[in-house]
This record gives sequence, structure tokens and C-alpha cells, in this order.
Amino acid sequence: MLAAQILINALVLGCLYACIAIGFSLVWGVLNVINLIHGSFIVLGAYLAWGLYQSLHISPWYSLAVAAPLFFVFGYVIQRLILNRVITAPVLVTLTLTFGLDLILNNAMIYYFKADYRKLTLTPPMGSVSIFDVVVPVDRLIATVAALALTFVLYLILRRLRVGRAIVAVRLDRDAAILMGVKVNSIYAIAFGLGAALAGCAGVLMALIFPISPLTSTAYLGKAFVVCVLGGLGSVSGALAGGILLALIEGVGSAMIGPAHATTLSFVLLIVFLILRPQGLLGRKGFE
Amino acid sequence: MARFLLRYARLPSSLLVAAGLALSASAALAQDVIKFGAPLPLTGPLAPEAIKQQQGYDLWAEQVNKAGGIAVGGKKYKVEIVYSDYQSNTPRAVQTTEQMISQGGVNFMFSPFGSGAAKAASSVSERYKMPTIASTASSAQVYDQGYKYLFGTFTPNDTLTTPLTKIVKAKAPNVKKVAILARNDLFPLAIAQEMEKSAKANGFEVVYFEKYAIGTLDHSATLSQIKSQAPQWIFVTGYINDLLLVRKQMTDQQIKADVVSMIAGPAYQEFIDAAGQGGENITSAAWWHPAAQYNGKDIFGTTANYVKLFREKFKSDPDYAQASASVSGALFQMAIEKAGTLDKEKVRDALAATDVMTFWGPVKFGATGQINSLEPPVFQLQGGKAVVLSPDIIKQGEFKLGVH
Repeated sequence: MLAAQILINALVLGCLYACIAIGFSLVWGVLNVINLIHGSFIVLGAYLAWGLYQSLHISPWYSLAVAAPLFFVFGYVIQRLILNRVITAPVLVTLTLTFGLDLILNNAMIYYFKADYRKLTLTPPMGSVSIFDVVVPVDRLIATVAALALTFVLYLILRRLRVGRAIVAVRLDRDAAILMGVKVNSIYAIAFGLGAALAGCAGVLMALIFPISPLTSTAYLGKAFVVCVLGGLGSVSGALAGGILLALIEGVGSAMIGPAHATTLSFVLLIVFLILRPQGLLGRKGFE
Repeated sequence: MARFLLRYARLPSSLLVAAGLALSASAALAQDVIKFGAPLPLTGPLAPEAIKQQQGYDLWAEQVNKAGGIAVGGKKYKVEIVYSDYQSNTPRAVQTTEQMISQGGVNFMFSPFGSGAAKAASSVSERYKMPTIASTASSAQVYDQGYKYLFGTFTPNDTLTTPLTKIVKAKAPNVKKVAILARNDLFPLAIAQEMEKSAKANGFEVVYFEKYAIGTLDHSATLSQIKSQAPQWIFVTGYINDLLLVRKQMTDQQIKADVVSMIAGPAYQEFIDAAGQGGENITSAAWWHPAAQYNGKDIFGTTANYVKLFREKFKSDPDYAQASASVSGALFQMAIEKAGTLDKEKVRDALAATDVMTFWGPVKFGATGQINSLEPPVFQLQGGKAVVLSPDIIKQGEFKLGVH
């Protein structure tokens, strides 16, 4: 029964990891930008959910509808006004730029919210469901479903909508996309906006599960990074696969060799993947 | 330029004399200040802790200066705290300490934050024979170097776990099995190891002892394992974020126990607010708690008065970190006044001879310089408030069983 419980824990956690990573994967895959503000976007989303719940008693599920457009606009504007100026520069330049932007956003959050840890606790609490002694917390379950839904929505956007096809076209071959009349700058901004919207929504969901503080942003960013490398860049299902793989490794590793080494194990796996399968589980080879 | 100089050369000599007098007067004023050096990690990961230290020192300095200053041989000296940011970087803390002593002209020093940095900087203080109080160093290894000039206001780590174990043993006879989960970090791990020792010494069976990595985002696998061992006592160490997460995931996994203890979260109002109902009946121990009721001879007097002054200035409740910083200042003050001089050697001797009741509790330093008179309070969160269970002289309520 313990093994079943650990597997279920890992599956649920894996979907949360995927939710954290998917926006990061999109931006890295399409813009070739390692977006270091991603973690702070998630924290900001969590504060949004916390603030709306504390002041107006708006349930986090409704906050998703506020967070998505708000963060989309935020991301779109940041890309248009700032990132776009260096988007064709080598990856180190955009990395440094997002690092700087992250410092600003993160310190602004420390300034306004303080470094104190806060917690969004629903009243009444949602509790847990148990099936044959295997316990699953309801909030995590809903967050998992929401994470899957967000992933699916992104998949639909990329597959079915014109703008989605344009994003994929830019990702595959920027120059050819320009020749076909795709407005690349606008596509970049939309992709970055989508990435930010996904981060904001992830933040709203994480607010229910993790303590909220600007200091947690690096933990989210770290997980997103590992998930992307494991799952493969620029593939929606890759983030999901990477997330579940990471959570399984951590969960099973933690049970077998102790929680102190679970993180080490996941980073060893990361190195192995970087050497043997740099494109990740589901990433496309030859695409940077 | 020449004309300018010429004009000043013709200034009446009386004016020059007056200027000279003013200069010497300001020099005398500068001498009426006692400077305390406080290297702190004001930026970087330890910044939240540094801010607490700063609040504690500032409150003390403000109170002393409001009362006219520290009396030394019939003269009052104002207090000035000289801060310096070492950016959460221990080697830089050592450099900063050296700079403050050799070039900054400080009279006395407070240690940098935590056991590690305090130990590293203590060798500098010792070399310059500079009386230093460490307000946040608990590890005995900081004090066992044979140094004469280092004093500390935290008792060793085992003084936190032993009283807790004794209470559980006395009040919860059904508790036999203990699970210990520790953050793999200096202080939390040291506390967990002390807990293991004290549990075994008191006849408990330690059925689980594991460390989790710093920055762990999920404890579900670990907690499932703990649940399968069915311990009656779950003891977790870590910082506020870890403990909040563990507590939340315990509820998620429907883990219940007769006793749940957490160090150091529940000592902070932040934890109590964020944990809400989940905090109920969690036990903890800290070197000090605002609910304590000591009647001190220091500038703050009673614990209640200290809490009141702190609230007025910072609009929040103090925890042991801020109180320790304040009491460190108050101890220097009493030692200087007793010595009647700013002579470092004599102040050091007065500190070593300290035997006084303060708002922090009774203060007496052992041979190593670490405080040995304090019995850290054990407390439990009951009805959203921390209730002191021991020591008896400040006890407020009875131990309650059951964390659901």
C-alpha cells in the first residue's frame, strides 16, 4: 500500500511540476530565451490568488480567470518593450537581461510583501479523498486537473489556432516564417505573454499547496529547468513527461535512499540526460 | 585663489580661536559616544534574520539614549550601533569585523549572525581583545575554543530538546515511538540529533530519522513512510517554509499523532498566522518567548514591558532573535556601568562576572562564555496562541495531547 501511495503522490506532484514548467518550456523553445523571471511570475501569481482570497474572498479557481489575461498582458509588454531589443543577441545576453528583470521583480515583491511566508488556507479546508487507504488531497487533485487542462489548452492553441501555427512555424524556422509573412516580433510577444500567463496560472494553483514568499521563486525556477531538460524543449507533452519523471525519481528515490538524497538523484539524472539524450524525452532533435 | 586666501588670512584672530573651540567641543562630543559594531547579513539569503537583529539592537540603543545614555564614572555616554553589511557571506563577515575593530573605532562588538559566522569572526575579536557578545550562536563548538572575550546568549541545543522530552514523557505515557525529520542544515540538523539522543535517553523508540534537502518542495513520499511507521510523536526541524509545508502535507495525508513538535517555526508569529488551525497543539521550544514573564533588572525591566516597547516601535511581536539582540545590548550596558570604565579588559571581566535577572531570563555565563543559567521555554500553540508549558516559573498552561 505504501508503494501505491508513493506512486500516486508522485503522479500528482508530477502534474504540478509540469504546470510550473510549461510556460518556461514554451518561452525557451520558441524564443530561445532562458526566462529567469519565470519563478517570480509564479510567485506573483500566488500573491494574486492570496490577495484576492484574503481581501475579497474570491476563490483561487476564479482567480485563474483574472491571472491569465493579466499576466498575458504583463508578459506581452515586457517582451515588446524590453526583451525584443536583444532577442536576436546570443543566449547569454537575454539570460542576463531576464536575470536583471528577475532581480527587480523579486526585490520589489520582497519590498511590498516582505520575505514573510504566507499561506492560502481555504475555509473550510478541502480535505483529502481516500481510495483503498491511498490518500489524495483534494486541492492537489484539482490543481492536477487544472494543470492537465492548461496543458491541453496550450496544445490546442499551438495545434488548431492560426496564431499557434505561427508560433510553431517561428520555432521551426524563423527565416522561413518571416518569408511566409509571419510577423515574428508579434509572435515572440504572444509566446512570451502565453508563457507569463501559464506562469501566473501555475502560481494561483501553487498558492493552495506551497507557502508563499518571494524567496520560493528560485525553487520553482530550478524545478522548471530540470523538467524542461528531462522532458525536452518546445514540446507540450514533454513538460508533462518531464514533470512526472522528475516527481517519480524524487518520490521513489526519497523512499529508497532517504529524502536528503532525492534532489541529488534528480540532478544526477539531469546530467545523464544532458550527456546521453540532450533533446530530452520528447524534445525534437536538432532544434535549439 | 590668492585673493581668497588673503581675505581669510586677515580674519580676526578671535574668530579663529572660536573656530578652534568649536572643533574641540565637537571632538569632546564624539568621545561621549560608545560605538558598538554589528556586522550583519543585511542583504542576501539571511537578510530577514539580519533585519530582526537590527530591530533588537535599535530598540535597545533607542531606549538607552532616551534614558540619557550609559553611565560611566558619573558621565553619560550615548550609544551608537555601527552596522555593516557582509552580504550573507561568512568570509566577508570576518573581514568586516576586523575592519570595524582596527579602523572603525568601535568600542565593543556584536557577533555576526548564526553559529558559523560567529565562530569565524570570534578569532578576530580575540586577537584584538575585543569583548564580543554573540546573540544568535547556540552550538557549543563556538565557545569551546578557549577564548576569553566571547560571550553568548543562547544555551546549547540540547537545552531545547531535553525539557520537551521530559514533558512528553511525564504527560503522555502512551507515546512510545518517535519519528524525526530534519532539514539537512547546520542548526536544524543539530537540534534533530539532540532530539534523537534525548528521546533514546528517555526510553522512546526512534522509528524514523531522516534528513531532507534544503529547498525540498514536496514531503509526500517521506510523510507516507512516516505514516506507515505509526509514530505517536512526530518531531520536525526546519525553517518556517519547510514546517508550513510539512504541516500542510501531514493534513493532506491524514497523518495524526499524539504529539507533533516543530523547531523553529512556532516561535514566530508568521508561522502561527500562516498555519492557522493546522498549528493547534504543536509543541516547540525556543530560547525565549514573548509569553515569558521575567522581572529583570535591565533597562527593559519585565518581559511584558519589552514586548510593549517592541510593539510600539515595530508594530509586531518580537521573537527570540530580536530579544536576544536587545538583551545583548542590555548586558553590555550593565557590564560597562558596573566596570565604571570603557576599558576593554575591565568590561570583559564585568561581563564574565554577570549574574543578573533580565527580561530574557536569568543570565550567567559559564567558563566558556556561553550562557548556562537560562532554561529555554517549552510552549504549545493552543487556540492560536503560544502557551508556555515550562519552566515552572513562567508556566501558563497545561500540555494538551493530539494533533489532527
